[in-house]
Amino acid sequence: MVIAMLAIMTLAFAGASAEKQETKLRFIDVSPSPTRQEYFTNTFDKFKQETGITVVYESVPWDDAANKLTVLGASNQLPDVMTTWAGWLGQFTEAGWVVPLSDYIGSTKGEYASTVTELVWKAEQELYGNIYTIPDGMMVKGVFVRKDWAKEVGLNLNMKKGWTYAEYFDAVYKLTDPSKNRYGTSFRGSRGAFDPLFVYLESLNGGSAYAADGSSLMKDQEAVDAYKKWMGLYLDGCAPKDAINWGFVEMVDNFCGGLTGTLINDSEVAATALANMKDEQWMVMPMPRSDKDGKIYNTVNSPYAYSISSSSKNKDAAWKLIEFLTRPDNNIEYCKLTGLIPIKTAVGDDPFYGPNGPYAAFVQQLNDPAMVVPVAFGPFNYTDMHQGMMHEEMQKYLLGRQDAQTSLFNVVNELEKRMKAYLAENPGSAVEQPKGLL
Amino acid sequence: MKIYTLQRHLGNFGRTIILVFFMLLVVLPIYWMSITSFKTNAEIINAQEITYFPRDVTTENYVQLFKLYDYKGMLTNSLIVSVSTGLCITLLSILGGYGLARYAFKGKDAMLLFFLVTQMIPGILVIIPLYVIFSKLGMINTRLSLFFFYLISNLPFCVITMRSFFERIPYTLEEAAYVDGCSKLTTLVRIVLPVMFPGIVAVFVFAFIGAWNELIAGTIFINTSDLWTVPVGLKSLIGKYDVKWGVLMAGGVCALLPTAIMFAFMQKFVVEGLTAGAVKE
Amino acid sequence: MVLVVLYIIGVGVVCALGMVFIRRHTKGRPTALSNLAAQRKAEPYLFLLPTMLLLLLMFGYPLINSFLMAFQSYKLTAPTKIRFNGLENFQKLFSETDIWLIIKNSFIYVVVSVAGQFLLGMTLAMALNKQFPFRGLYQALVFLPWSFSAFVIGLMHRWSFNGEYGVVNDLLMKLQLIGTKIAWLGTPGFSLAVVIMAMIWMGIPFFAIMILAALQSIPADVYEASYIDGCGPLRRFSKITLPYIKPTVIVTILLRTIWIFNSFDLIVVITNGGPANYSQTLPSYMYTKAFSSYDFGLASALGVLLMTVLVLYVTVFLKATNYNKAGNF
Repeated sequence: MVIAMLAIMTLAFAGASAEKQETKLRFIDVSPSPTRQEYFTNTFDKFKQETGITVVYESVPWDDAANKLTVLGASNQLPDVMTTWAGWLGQFTEAGWVVPLSDYIGSTKGEYASTVTELVWKAEQELYGNIYTIPDGMMVKGVFVRKDWAKEVGLNLNMKKGWTYAEYFDAVYKLTDPSKNRYGTSFRGSRGAFDPLFVYLESLNGGSAYAADGSSLMKDQEAVDAYKKWMGLYLDGCAPKDAINWGFVEMVDNFCGGLTGTLINDSEVAATALANMKDEQWMVMPMPRSDKDGKIYNTVNSPYAYSISSSSKNKDAAWKLIEFLTRPDNNIEYCKLTGLIPIKTAVGDDPFYGPNGPYAAFVQQLNDPAMVVPVAFGPFNYTDMHQGMMHEEMQKYLLGRQDAQTSLFNVVNELEKRMKAYLAENPGSAVEQPKGLL
Repeated sequence: MKIYTLQRHLGNFGRTIILVFFMLLVVLPIYWMSITSFKTNAEIINAQEITYFPRDVTTENYVQLFKLYDYKGMLTNSLIVSVSTGLCITLLSILGGYGLARYAFKGKDAMLLFFLVTQMIPGILVIIPLYVIFSKLGMINTRLSLFFFYLISNLPFCVITMRSFFERIPYTLEEAAYVDGCSKLTTLVRIVLPVMFPGIVAVFVFAFIGAWNELIAGTIFINTSDLWTVPVGLKSLIGKYDVKWGVLMAGGVCALLPTAIMFAFMQKFVVEGLTAGAVKE
Repeated sequence: MVLVVLYIIGVGVVCALGMVFIRRHTKGRPTALSNLAAQRKAEPYLFLLPTMLLLLLMFGYPLINSFLMAFQSYKLTAPTKIRFNGLENFQKLFSETDIWLIIKNSFIYVVVSVAGQFLLGMTLAMALNKQFPFRGLYQALVFLPWSFSAFVIGLMHRWSFNGEYGVVNDLLMKLQLIGTKIAWLGTPGFSLAVVIMAMIWMGIPFFAIMILAALQSIPADVYEASYIDGCGPLRRFSKITLPYIKPTVIVTILLRTIWIFNSFDLIVVITNGGPANYSQTLPSYMYTKAFSSYDFGLASALGVLLMTVLVLYVTVFLKATNYNKAGNF
């Protein structure tokens, strides 16, 4: 009986899959929310009216997105257009799951803002040999600060003037007040903990992490001292003991919930802050300037960039969709909804992004000639390190199991090893250079 | 006599303490979840003060849950998949459990070992090959794929459980029926099943819940949000930077209702099954 | 597509052949009696056919495939470089610096969780075995932890045990049981304890339901006889109750151990294995490795290792509890 059932179902479905061929695109959103879903489905309707191509909106919860894309990729069933997070590109390019886009972009390159062409795309070309993503919007990091607390302890913070790392550390210590149950910083100890620390260490080396031959620039005493200084924020009690295991959610929740005084994070968080806090409570400062050369080192990327998968059977149609989504009018609408900065130059002067809006600090940094984007970890696959050793070594030091030098060197030695291996296996490639907008 | 009643009283007292303990253990977290679902988000993440009763009671979370996140759709999907899984598994495990309990046959031990081994395979090693098979059959993004997956992942356990329930029923029961001239099938349905009722209900409940709670297959085999089951839908409330705690808790609490109703009814059937099982030796 | 259909047909053929073989094996002279005997011999296979068919279909291919992959260098990022590499994956596995910590954690996690669930579940089942007012309503509530999705439980624990805004610390301090806040998720040892607590909370209803169902099928007259004979409660428990529920208990513990050993969702949600792998177990480690390094050869090797351990455990456990002898009375 069951065999018969199975047989019938097999046949039924076999029949069902041989339907008429109309162009249908699959689009996957890796960070769905009702707002995004509504925006995309409306935009897809508009797209269908203009081109006659149907787009199916697929989604997967953010937490499981990486895994789902892995399964889809392994079975060659990736949707035509994917929203990808920059951190996955190393894996995706190695596995050959994304398609190079330079030919599609062609001459329209000039339409894109310099943040896109000079920073994002140059980096992709240096790292992966080609352009693979069209950013959905730009975001930069900033330091969210409790304005009211700062006033109480007499800190004079001026967004236009900015601050140095020394001043930043000083502020964190000043804002810590155990008697009032206040901590200076939302210290991240779990996955991703090494990212801001890496940027800090790079700020001492002009934004670079490797010498031309691939050896690491972070193995000197200066790096170890800086490492200790950063970790001192936790060890000296500027963050709760629990923070050793904090992820994004705890960091943001605790800042918005009134436990911590500063938070380093992307502009996306501004939306959460707007929703949960009163205006007089918070402000955004630009990232601290390097104590060495006075430049601001900040990562610029897009949260969910569009890419075309290699399993797509309608790559040209997929490109059309991406073009449509990044058309200036659609792009601005999208960016406003999601708290990002538009990617095309033809955005005009929208007051939303003006000097008094919530995104002022971010826009200011993007227009600051002294801002430099430091290099990424590397063109090789580092996801396993990012999921494991990078923060685990930090935690071991914070728990007192290892000294600072061992913890730092374990990680940078591994990075150096992979970098050198990559250079050896790919003759003609070179170490990535920091980029500025100048 | 006196000692007997004293023992009785002590027993009752002890029993009450135990029951109260477990009730607190279960109810306190659920209470916490429920009141969180009635708080505003600002009050939830307020780190300086934790309130044990909402300061501003709001039903906003529930409104959002149903209007914005289409909770009704999620519930429907979950119910359809879980009920069908439960029924199918119960049927198959009655057959399988009976076969394993009453017969000694070649390959029985191997079969048992195979059942156990299927429980040991780490899920992710199964999901990818299955995804390939399902997509070739055009089953991806259908409730059918979930039904099949939940069927096979819960089947071995339910068969083994059913077998252990069968084993407790003395064979004399069936023998008496054969002597009276009943066929195998009639015996099974008329005599054995009523006695087995507590076990059958337990197995159905386990199968249902195994399907109701499952998350990973739900995210992998389903692509579009209209077919999300409850766990997947609730997972989508966890964003990269923020978690919609209030709505999440509301969703979690609502998801309890079908299973709570089931548990309440389970008690009724279990009692009935007990009285129907008397055998005059 | 063709491959899949062939696979399904193949499995069906194997099952059919098996049945034919057994039929032939048991057929002697075609008399009415031996026909009946043959039919009887085939009956158990018929009962189990649908189950076996489904399981073989779904698990057969992945099982074989995983076994093969464990001995291959199988990286999704290098699809052209798939080759056999013997025990290299296993070597890599054991050269991970924290592997013994992870193994130790797995062991503690499983033993303490199972013991806790079993003892508490048994207690609850015995308390429920007698009728009392509103028992139905009580049961409806007390079994609820089982009906939560693992990630909801995990999230709740992650939130409640948060050192700063978690409700557990708040309560403990209000009740004056502790002086300063405990960093539950940030302290080695405590983080594993939180995960164990979550697992126990979730699993008590499972044991309680199973043992209750077993308890309630003990014939009432057996108990009555023991009362008349003047048995004390302790003797009654060990001589009557325990033997009756032993098969159920064995099965429940066996299966639950396997499940808990293989589970990782609670760990991944609550602590992500942290801090510094102090709450990482083998399955959660495998899960992270598989999806972050795309090294499915390594993940399969770990999977094979897990399965081997479990098979050993099952064999030893069943032998030690004389499973095949129990239940015959």
